[in-house]
Amino acid sequence: MGRLFSLTYPTAAVLLAIRSGHRYGFDIMDATGLPDGTVYPILRRLERRGVLSGKWEDEDLARSEQRPQRRYYQLTPVGEESMAEVLDRFPALVGLFPGAA
Amino acid sequence: MADGVPGLRLIAFAARMVPAARRATWRKEWEGEVTWAWKRLTSAGRPSTMAVARLRLRVLTCLIDALWEMKETMTMTGLLNDVRFAARSLFRYPMFTAIAVLTLALGIGANTAVFTLVDGVLLSPLPYSDSERLVSIEHLGRDGQDELSMSTGLYALYREHVTATRSLALHTSAAVNLVSNGESERIAVQAVTPGFFEVLGVSPSSGRAFVDEEGAPGGEQVVILSDGMWKSRFGGDPSAIGQSLDINGTNRRIIGIMPEEFGYPDRTAQLWLPLVVDPTTAPLAAFGPSGIARLADDASIESLDTELRGLISRLMEFFPDSGAPAFLAEVGLRPLVSPLKEAVVGEVGTTLLILLGTVGFVLLIACANVANLLLVRAEGRQRELALRIAVGAGRAQVLRTFLSESIILAGAGSLLGLVVARISLTLTTRMLPSDLPRAHEVGLDLRVLGFTFAIAVGCALFFGLFPLLRYNADDLGTQLRDGAAHGATGGRDRNRLRSSLVVVQMALALVLLVGSGLMLRSFQALRAMDPGFETERILTARITVPEVEISSWQEAAGFYRTLGDRLRGQSGVEAVGFAQSVPLGAGLGFYSVELEDHPRGPSELPVFASNNQIEVGFLETMGIDLVEGRTFVSGDGAEGTRVVVVSKSFADHWWPGRSALGRNVRLGFPEEEWYQIVGVVEDTHYLSLENDPQEMIFWPATIGTAANPQPTRGMDVAVRTAGDPTAFVAVLRREVQALNPRIPVSNPRTMDDLMSAATARTSFTMSLLGAASGIALLLGLVGIYGVISYIVSQRTREIGVRLALGATAPSVRGMIVRQGFVLTAGGVCIGLVVAAGLSRVMASLLYGVSATDPLTYGLVAVSLVIVSLSASWIPARRAAGVDPSRALRSE
Repeated sequence: MGRLFSLTYPTAAVLLAIRSGHRYGFDIMDATGLPDGTVYPILRRLERRGVLSGKWEDEDLARSEQRPQRRYYQLTPVGEESMAEVLDRFPALVGLFPGAA
Repeated sequence: MADGVPGLRLIAFAARMVPAARRATWRKEWEGEVTWAWKRLTSAGRPSTMAVARLRLRVLTCLIDALWEMKETMTMTGLLNDVRFAARSLFRYPMFTAIAVLTLALGIGANTAVFTLVDGVLLSPLPYSDSERLVSIEHLGRDGQDELSMSTGLYALYREHVTATRSLALHTSAAVNLVSNGESERIAVQAVTPGFFEVLGVSPSSGRAFVDEEGAPGGEQVVILSDGMWKSRFGGDPSAIGQSLDINGTNRRIIGIMPEEFGYPDRTAQLWLPLVVDPTTAPLAAFGPSGIARLADDASIESLDTELRGLISRLMEFFPDSGAPAFLAEVGLRPLVSPLKEAVVGEVGTTLLILLGTVGFVLLIACANVANLLLVRAEGRQRELALRIAVGAGRAQVLRTFLSESIILAGAGSLLGLVVARISLTLTTRMLPSDLPRAHEVGLDLRVLGFTFAIAVGCALFFGLFPLLRYNADDLGTQLRDGAAHGATGGRDRNRLRSSLVVVQMALALVLLVGSGLMLRSFQALRAMDPGFETERILTARITVPEVEISSWQEAAGFYRTLGDRLRGQSGVEAVGFAQSVPLGAGLGFYSVELEDHPRGPSELPVFASNNQIEVGFLETMGIDLVEGRTFVSGDGAEGTRVVVVSKSFADHWWPGRSALGRNVRLGFPEEEWYQIVGVVEDTHYLSLENDPQEMIFWPATIGTAANPQPTRGMDVAVRTAGDPTAFVAVLRREVQALNPRIPVSNPRTMDDLMSAATARTSFTMSLLGAASGIALLLGLVGIYGVISYIVSQRTREIGVRLALGATAPSVRGMIVRQGFVLTAGGVCIGLVVAAGLSRVMASLLYGVSATDPLTYGLVAVSLVIVSLSASWIPARRAAGVDPSRALRSE
């Protein structure tokens, strides 16, 4: 199946970060170490292509932890499918995100 | 949400670019992330500057995110295609595009620059927390004739009884001698009551603010440093707190350092000292310091005003043994409570709003010009557009093409306009009048960018809509069938539209030219006015003799006299004098006096006059002419011959038609001695050039009683030199040092500097109005030239026929120039009416010229007609040079 997006290094890093448990914007920025201005456009594009889905966390949970509600990103089944290629093409990156493999 | 989270405004701003459907989510996500990051950063105390900067940088990237979102939407709706198409077609006509963009950049840039000033000074709130709760408390006397500030006595009373304020404070500017390493320096300070910082809601960046005991008699001698002082004197060393400074001969302990951005009302103060008030002895009627207060939660300006009025009416009850309440009742003392911002900004508001109106006009003219250009271009594209419709493009699509072009032009114009604004701001801030309040707060910020964005959109709609009004798809369909119209009725309609744009441009240009003409005449009048004193080759400087340095009155008075003698002995010195205040130096005392032969009746108000203490030789140095009698000679003064010299207006006011010589005056305090008038001098514009001359009394250098002579301890020296006065500053310093090295010379200026400062606002307004009207005139001329040229090109065939039938070249030229004249005359007539209507707004800025000065109006109108006739002359000559045979073949 043809990919819905171009698999660049930053895209792969974002996908790996999400898979290894970094699930919200600033956390993904910190985990990938990508320039700040690149992460959100990637997230938006992947979400629009159906690779990721973003969901607001439960409001009560955020309130109980005394912080603003977060928007968490997770891989869709389409995203999960493309992970094989990520792991294949960027093996060195995988090492940086234990738990992503 | 946590306080002080950085970047929330930026996020709100960027969110506007995100498509409406996704905007709320987008904003919530960013705000949530930033708030949480900030909370984590600040949970462990003060975050490092690096960490804060990194977070700020990260927030900045929300702009990138928002731009991508916008681009995505534009791609989806096909708008991106439109923009691409429009950009390509604009690039095909680089000359047209360049002129349009430059015109807009000028208009938008000028507006952005002036709006930045207006925003910084007038619109944005003062930089203190809850600043709308801050008020200034002053007083008025004699039905508003006297502007009285606050007195320490009233402060003590209000502080004890007023409930409508949460806190109340006094502040007053002063200068002190700061001595370090044997060198003494005169620096600006502010004496404030301990609650000053609390009222403004500002606390020191390190150390602490004053406590109540430090503002009471016997409190510890302390001082708070400005950030600048701390950095320059202590290299930013935190251990400065606890050290001492020698201020006016007293050692004061440093207890705090204020943040860098702090300063009220401006950033001139380098140190803050506690203003000591003893409630039991504080004088009620000695007005001087200014009052500020923070309103209590449930209070308003009106409720505070009512409360203060109540207290003032009961002054007799509070101070039964003092004479002051009776005096204040006679003066009709009443409070003047106003929002603090109003008090800070003062009357400069009118000037700024007029400037904003002016550049608004320039922008309108620029837009009219671009609209004209677009109309001309649209004309040339009729067939192209008709073709697009014929092959199936919807009307909406054609309209979108027009609008996309406008948006690109406006966008490019505003980007370049920001550059223009940046440059012109740098230039104008250099020539801003030094008394412009809040000038240090002026800068390009998000609000200004928002403003620029808004006017760009406004412009795009304005000139984008003009072609739309003219062309609808039906017309274009007809045109494709009939071929491009030449000189048909449709063409005439379009000419009419363009012509009315030119008329509007001319009218607006005339209004601006009249405005700058009036300012020019005011400036000339101010410059040509005889101020009553000489200004050439006179150097002035402030010399203060503190009591701790020289305590006896003989030595203090003697210091100035000895210095005067030493200075007179220098080569190149023509005359030397000393005064409490030199003209335009803003140090005059304004208080009540008594006249022996005009005893004050019980219902009469006290006599007020400007008072100035001067040394022998001062009037001669300043070239203030004697009308009758004599000026001061050595031996005059409290300890010797008690005499005064008065100004002509004072003498004429009290002894009209008679001589004032030999009459007695004394200061309006009990137990003062009578001083005899021995001289009358010409009136001078001592306070400002615009106001009428003041009624003045010149007192000798020592006043008071023979038993207790009071010298003035702060005097301006005036030295008239044979050559360049500025070269004499070093000599002056050397001579003062030789007498006493701990006495500083401050603020050396020439009288010419003082004159320039006094005319600064007029010259500033004049320069800006002049620049604006110059641009307006240029754009107006380009407009009229463009329209006439276009008319000529459209009528080439007709002109050819006329010439072939025997019309002469002059008659053809006349015909074309006449068209230009009709447009100009229309514009001038409308402009004259509008200018007369608007000039009333300007009246407060004018001096020596009426707002409806016929000469200015006439000259401007005639010059505008002449100049625009020359602009139509060029196309007219071209028309007369048409070769009939070629013109006829051209169809």
